[in-house]
Amino acid sequence: MSKLSLETGTGQVPAPLTYRQQRRSMFSALAGPATGLLLMLTILSIVSPHFLTSLNLLNVSRQAATNIIMAAGQSLVIFTGGIDLSVGSVMALAASTAIVAITHHGLNLWLGILLCLLVGAGCGFVNGVIITKGKVPDFIVTLGMLSAARGLALLVTDGMPVPSHYVAVRAYMPRALIALGAGEVLGIPAPFFIALVVIGVTWFISQHTRTGRHLYAVGGNREAARVSGINVEHSKVAAYTASGLLAAVAGLVLAGRLNSANAHMGTGAELNAIASVVMGGTNLFGGEGSLGGTLIGGTTLSVLANGLNLLAVSPFWQQVAMGTVVVSVVVFDQWRRRRLAGRG
Amino acid sequence: MKQPLLELKDVSKTYPGVQALKKVDFDLYAGELHFLLGENGAGKSTLMKILSGSVQKDSGTISLDGREITMNSPRDADRHGIAMVYQELSLFPALSVAENIMAGRLPRRKVTGMVNWGRAHADSRKILDGLGLDIPTTTPVQDLGVGASQLIEIGKALSRKVRVLLLDEPTSALSVHEVERLFQIIGDLLKRGIAIIYVSHKLAEVPRLAHRVTVLRDGEKVGTLDVKDAAEPTLIRMMVGREVTDRYPKETVPLGNPVLEVEGLCLGRRVRDVSFAVREGEIVGVFGLRGSGRTSLARSLFGLEPRDGGIIRIRGRVADIRSPGDAIRAGLGYITEERKLGLVMRMGVAPNMTFAALGSLLRFGLIDHAREREAAVGLIQRLRIVTPHVYQLVEFLSGGSQQKVALARWLCAKAHVLIMDEPTRGIDVGAKVEVYKFLSQQAREGAGVLFFSSELPEVMGISDRVLVMAQGELVATFDGGKSASDDIMAYAAGGCGSSPGGVLS
Repeated sequence: MSKLSLETGTGQVPAPLTYRQQRRSMFSALAGPATGLLLMLTILSIVSPHFLTSLNLLNVSRQAATNIIMAAGQSLVIFTGGIDLSVGSVMALAASTAIVAITHHGLNLWLGILLCLLVGAGCGFVNGVIITKGKVPDFIVTLGMLSAARGLALLVTDGMPVPSHYVAVRAYMPRALIALGAGEVLGIPAPFFIALVVIGVTWFISQHTRTGRHLYAVGGNREAARVSGINVEHSKVAAYTASGLLAAVAGLVLAGRLNSANAHMGTGAELNAIASVVMGGTNLFGGEGSLGGTLIGGTTLSVLANGLNLLAVSPFWQQVAMGTVVVSVVVFDQWRRRRLAGRG
Repeated sequence: MKQPLLELKDVSKTYPGVQALKKVDFDLYAGELHFLLGENGAGKSTLMKILSGSVQKDSGTISLDGREITMNSPRDADRHGIAMVYQELSLFPALSVAENIMAGRLPRRKVTGMVNWGRAHADSRKILDGLGLDIPTTTPVQDLGVGASQLIEIGKALSRKVRVLLLDEPTSALSVHEVERLFQIIGDLLKRGIAIIYVSHKLAEVPRLAHRVTVLRDGEKVGTLDVKDAAEPTLIRMMVGREVTDRYPKETVPLGNPVLEVEGLCLGRRVRDVSFAVREGEIVGVFGLRGSGRTSLARSLFGLEPRDGGIIRIRGRVADIRSPGDAIRAGLGYITEERKLGLVMRMGVAPNMTFAALGSLLRFGLIDHAREREAAVGLIQRLRIVTPHVYQLVEFLSGGSQQKVALARWLCAKAHVLIMDEPTRGIDVGAKVEVYKFLSQQAREGAGVLFFSSELPEVMGISDRVLVMAQGELVATFDGGKSASDDIMAYAAGGCGSSPGGVLS
């Protein structure tokens, strides 16, 4: 036994899996969510003649966009093992503030957009700092922000849709913002195009940067991340700031699409965002998941809503159906993973 | 000869990769205190867990009053009158003393089914009086000191019809005064015919308490002695006396300049004024029993716990280490006492290896996956880690391979001071030898190694020098010879038994 040598051992030499092979093996983690989406697309194509039309599909993608953008930010937070309940309110606050500043006070459009992003990122930053420095559970801090940001949005807009005809300097939305919501890029609705760009950028950050690697490490094992010299607090603050920033982006897109902003936009949006992330196969306890999954999860949710509308299901039943499907997909995914883990 | 109350025959237990108990026989008579001794990992805890029903034996028999019993859950233990007092207290801090003592068996009123609080408090009162405790039964447990909590824990066991009481290091957190009271209570319980199995590292407690002593080593029973035959040197030889020659590959390397110098390091009451130095090529063992401040020292050196005072010099230069990041930049590497705390189990082998060195694997600020993979393959081959590919989740590797992934991280980060806290805990003998070889080899290449362990043979086997820690202080230094094992153990254990009063109260 003492003859063992470290350098000259003939132990098993590992197959050096290439990065591309690793990617491929990661795609298999998306098999569950993707199957769910395909199944739903198939069923809806059969039962509704209106579903599989380009007009309807473009419409679905437009509606899915804001949720996917928010869910991308939510994914980063959930990778670290946290949760952000404030995204719906932050979206309303950021968008309302910007639209009020632009249309009521005549702020330059680009400065207005910058303001919107700063408000969103600022809210996220505050969440992150209180969570890490104050050692307060994520759930509580972002729940507080959910309420506070909504209140601020009501204050900023005085409870009315903006631009408001009574106080506006220019009582119309800037064309550029309307284009964000209603325009097209390469034949794709602009909101969905933006959502794809957001997913692409966040995916790239999560897979190719040190910050991204740290998010997974912090969520996978906080103590191990610390022992490895990773600054756990910075990673968490970065994730929450990104989540707030993307909520603001979603707010701009939605305001453009609605041709207006108001303090009540995005009510309950946090739940859709979280559901999208989880339906994409991301572990709600952190450390595992992918933005590809979030894209699939968010799309599934919107396709389902659209399908129920086309089938003229009562809105009351729609809520029941949405809840049931979200939970079923996750139950199925967990079951599938346990089986895989059992075999591996 | 009368019949033993409790008898174990040929009891074995295997955990993945480790045989924790090998055909152990053990018996216990009514009114007897049977002392169980052994190093960490000798199988004491496993034996206690089997008797309390929290783990199941693989083979062998357990008999009570000569009849074989099944022991599949803590409920079975409860039914047979076997109660365990846990080392880590299992009390509900926010609930009252009475609620804790009566937990799970609160008396109820017949008709309404509501809790009969009057009786609950009266019953707990009786138990507290029996233990000589005059605290009100309504006090929340969190308001009590450690000593009183320990007694409440015993009271909880007594509230059931207990015949066999299992005590696991009950004095490790008690002051001298509290220990005295506990010993009196133990004496009373024995007079009432209750049998006690008592686990402790403190040899000084043996003549004070025991009727008989059983020593375990590596999961096997070395022997059972009457207390009159159990002199301290005999027990130490039984605990540590094994062939150490070829299990600890140690190269002798010429020592260079000091790489790590520590002066007057303090961390609350856990580490007090510790000073020492480690030179290039040197392996310095730090031996200490549980609660000696060993792990706190390791953690404060690595910046995981802010030290209250003291200077750390790396290669002669003062290093202001406030976080693990600072420590890594200064050239330190650290292996955690609990392997699970150091690895991200649901991530791949490669990322786990490169966490601390990711800065050197960037290209244009992005992770260079090809170079990361190359680095990982090199480390996997060098440390002979058994894994199907570099992105295999660490969770699916064996304990030994997991530990090697953790070691590889510091090889990757080019650490030149390695702080190893129990790096061989819970891995099999072959993997242990490879860890020793790894440390030896790092020392040969000029690293300084600080090797924390509570297993005396390995400390003596691979260290150039052994520092002994007890009660947060360095109490002795030995050269890495084999003859001194009795002395080392005496210093480490003696530090606890004859401690100045009130240190931990």
